[in-house]
Amino acid sequence: MSLRRVSILFAFSTFALFAVLVLSLLYFYRGGLFIETLFSERTLFSIRLSIYSATVAAVLATALAVPSAYALSRCDFPGKDAVDTILELPMIVSPAALGAMLLIFFNNPLGNWIQTRGAQFVFDSNGIILAQFVTTLGVATRLTKAAMDEIPQRYEDVARTLGASLAAAFFNVTLPLCRRGLAAAFILSWAKAMGEFGATITLAGTMAMKTETLPIAIFMKLSTADIDGTVVLILIMTAIGIGTLYAVRMISRKGLHA
Amino acid sequence: MNKYSICFSTTPAITLVLFLVLMPVFPAGAAEALLVYAGAASKPPTEEAVKLYEQKTGTKVDLVFGGSGYVLSQMKLARQGDIYFPGSSDYMEKAKRDGHVFPGTEKVIVYLVSAINVQKGNPHNIRTLSDLTRPGIKVAIANPEGVCVGAYAVEIIEKAFTPAEKSVFRKNLVNYTESCEKTATAISLKTVDAVIGWSVFQHWDPARIETIPLKKSEISRIGYIPVAISSFSNNKVRARQFIDFLLSEEGKAIYGKYHYFMSPEEASAWIGATKPVGGEYVLPADWRPK
Repeated sequence: MSLRRVSILFAFSTFALFAVLVLSLLYFYRGGLFIETLFSERTLFSIRLSIYSATVAAVLATALAVPSAYALSRCDFPGKDAVDTILELPMIVSPAALGAMLLIFFNNPLGNWIQTRGAQFVFDSNGIILAQFVTTLGVATRLTKAAMDEIPQRYEDVARTLGASLAAAFFNVTLPLCRRGLAAAFILSWAKAMGEFGATITLAGTMAMKTETLPIAIFMKLSTADIDGTVVLILIMTAIGIGTLYAVRMISRKGLHA
Repeated sequence: MNKYSICFSTTPAITLVLFLVLMPVFPAGAAEALLVYAGAASKPPTEEAVKLYEQKTGTKVDLVFGGSGYVLSQMKLARQGDIYFPGSSDYMEKAKRDGHVFPGTEKVIVYLVSAINVQKGNPHNIRTLSDLTRPGIKVAIANPEGVCVGAYAVEIIEKAFTPAEKSVFRKNLVNYTESCEKTATAISLKTVDAVIGWSVFQHWDPARIETIPLKKSEISRIGYIPVAISSFSNNKVRARQFIDFLLSEEGKAIYGKYHYFMSPEEASAWIGATKPVGGEYVLPADWRPK
């Protein structure tokens, strides 16, 4: 068997693994319940909240990731290795631990001051965005840095010899060249934020019609031993998440190749 | 030596190190272990009781803690486990109805009474249930849809408050916690000023939690923590032995140490009135949005 066939087989094996997991949900599937759950006020709220918070968190994470990744990719500065290493913190500590760290932060005098004089985060929808942002920032920066590392420094140097400032070289040369990597960073951040559970539930809580995102709604269904309802919500979440990512991938593929 | 040969020469060493590190994670003879699905309402003493039981019998007990409904879901889906030990009667009733436990094996281990829990020293001077409607007071209850202590809290609120008071209370209600344990932790971490939890929370974390008793007229019923053998159990004899240990003087002493009530009479004496024990409470529609 050729390498090409073997690799395609592995790719389909990955697909089959996830497809089997999704199809196994049908064992508990009840058609009528799907429509009833999908169009209930509570589910629609959770869908809106999840999409809104994941989008805001991913936009913020990507916006912060671009300058950070540029510094890590192009500059040498004291403490660079420490900054680079800590990007993996959200992946090393569990999301629940990250949520607990945020909760503990808001328990100290500085956090308390932010809560009383600035915005409310604990048990609030702002907390969802913060939890998702903190969880995704490291991934967004790592992916953006990887994309920038692929662009030779020489291109910027050439632009500068032609009279471009450092900023102009970055915006006109490096940034357009790594747009596909940036798009990937955004998409992955969005997907990670959309499915984020541990940090969100710890910081923002589980209140229906207030902080109940789709992953939390799934957890709550399971908490009431309602397996049929759990299955419906997982199917809804899968359809929204995979559907959105597929659509974005198709659109960006056209746009990025244009 | 090129980089590939270095890579290949170090691979067996890395594999050996990983094997040695991971080996203790997969102990042999796990088949003899008892699997217990437990609601978090009894976490501190149950962990202690399990440790003592393991020392005395040599039988390993694997404890899965969580909300009573959540662990019931896990047991249903995993189709394995020996004992169901929820935080109160509500989910035991459901487990019996759905045939996931043997009803004849159900025993009551301890009794619980609802109370207000505040930070140690009561910095917000919360003395009564109506203090929870004061402006600026931040309150949490356990999620009433999945956690029994939350359903008890809703029952108390529904009976004690007028619609206007209820509306003010719900403005102060900033969070639902996802388990009994996290309801107590909300006070320990000072994320809220008060919770409506169990009187025993104070003894889970005496340095940070204080219990404010409710008026006897505000308490609707006494909760209890039941235990029963799961219908998926392959080890009913050992499961029975574990339940007998919990009911023994030695087992009861551990729960007594954490100030759980050992009889309905003891709970009634603490409340100052006789109250019905256990049962199910149907949440009003506005507490479970569709």
